[in-house]
Amino acid sequence: VKRGRATIESADEAELVRLVARGDQAAFEALYRRTAPWLTIRLRRRCSDDQIVAEVLQETFVAVWRAAGSFAGASVNGSAVGWLWTIAARRLVDAFRRRARHAQPPPAAAEPATAPAAEEEALAAEVGGPLGAALDALAPELRQVLRAMVLDGLSVRETATLLGLPEGTVKTRARRARIMMREALS
Amino acid sequence: VNDRNGTHASAELIGRYVSGDPAITAEAEWALEAHLEACSSCRARVSELTTDHAPDVAAMVTGAWEAMAPTLAESRPAPARRVRAWLMTWASPAMIPWIVSAVMVATLATLFGRMVAGPPNGDSVLFLLAPLVPVFGVAAAWSTGLDPMYELAVATPRAGLYLVLRRTLAVLVLVIPLMAVASLLVGTSPVLWLLPSLVCTLTALALGSVIGVEGAAMGIAGLWLLIFTPQVVIDGRPPVLLGEWTVPMWAGIGTAAAVVLVLRAAAFTRISHQHKTF
Repeated sequence: VKRGRATIESADEAELVRLVARGDQAAFEALYRRTAPWLTIRLRRRCSDDQIVAEVLQETFVAVWRAAGSFAGASVNGSAVGWLWTIAARRLVDAFRRRARHAQPPPAAAEPATAPAAEEEALAAEVGGPLGAALDALAPELRQVLRAMVLDGLSVRETATLLGLPEGTVKTRARRARIMMREALS
Repeated sequence: VNDRNGTHASAELIGRYVSGDPAITAEAEWALEAHLEACSSCRARVSELTTDHAPDVAAMVTGAWEAMAPTLAESRPAPARRVRAWLMTWASPAMIPWIVSAVMVATLATLFGRMVAGPPNGDSVLFLLAPLVPVFGVAAAWSTGLDPMYELAVATPRAGLYLVLRRTLAVLVLVIPLMAVASLLVGTSPVLWLLPSLVCTLTALALGSVIGVEGAAMGIAGLWLLIFTPQVVIDGRPPVLLGEWTVPMWAGIGTAAAVVLVLRAAAFTRISHQHKTF
């Protein structure tokens, strides 16, 4: 099963996951080196508690190591990186659920800081588009719900746990966010 | 930022994202995160910049690896279940014990043929049993009593004649070589029982579309044994109806059964109410 260094370096993430499924530790290390920083940074933008982030990071990759076979077996065209993020997002929700039992408010519940920056206009020009402008115009609490449900692919219940909100509130905010996006785009 | 247009995120934006800058606009962050999921070169840039811009993230990444690495050797990744999942589209779980019993029937018939001299001789016992083995196999492949997943299988979009025939084919592919080997060991030609065997299978399916496959299999098997057992056991010779001259008769019955089966195909998309068990 051992592959040469060159094979692993040139393999894409989906191929690495397939190698991991066969128990290749070098491929797993390469996958970790390539995706762990990205995953950590993305998690940190959703959770301000570094202890939870470290925990979730570790749990995610242990799950990837154990369940790589189910990815290789189940999907032919699915994105390996998307699969990885799905695992991480679910683990983050699980971590918040565990914390909720200890009666601490979830760290993600804090309203995100949105200080207007000087570079904003330059950046807006770079990413551009009416969608981006509509997204930017949304109230932060609506955007938070939309991000969890659309970009992170979580369910209503998972979003509610992640943000520390009742499910009804999540549904209302998602509906309002969608209506506002539609109005802004039409 | 969209890589479908062939563009990549700017190093400056990635740098700010990596260092956790809260001032990145929501739309830029959203677009960047969506892009990073699809673009490996920008992800590589994130990894590069992490060391300089976010030493705390780099420390977390290293720390998590060090905590995890020793445990990797203890647990192997679970194997993919590709082969098993594929196999299940051809055979129902109930067919596995049945395959074992088919092997036993073939083995016993062969042993009988080799050890016992005089009537009933081995040729006749094999002739008597060979056409019935696939019939029972088909009953196990589509039955209310034996298949614990029967109702679920019927409710799938694939259910119907296609799935029944697919499972029947799986039965025949296993059984015919098995019985052929058995009859060669005994010293007779498999050609003699092949046609009756296929016709019995087809008739069981056709009748099964009316009264349920299990009941039909029991009926066909009973009828077959009733007609041929006296000849084999008492006279000690191969049943006359299995002679080579009977081809047109078997072909006629087979065609009639096939026509009935096609006309009654819809019956295999409904749950049979014959909850009989063997």
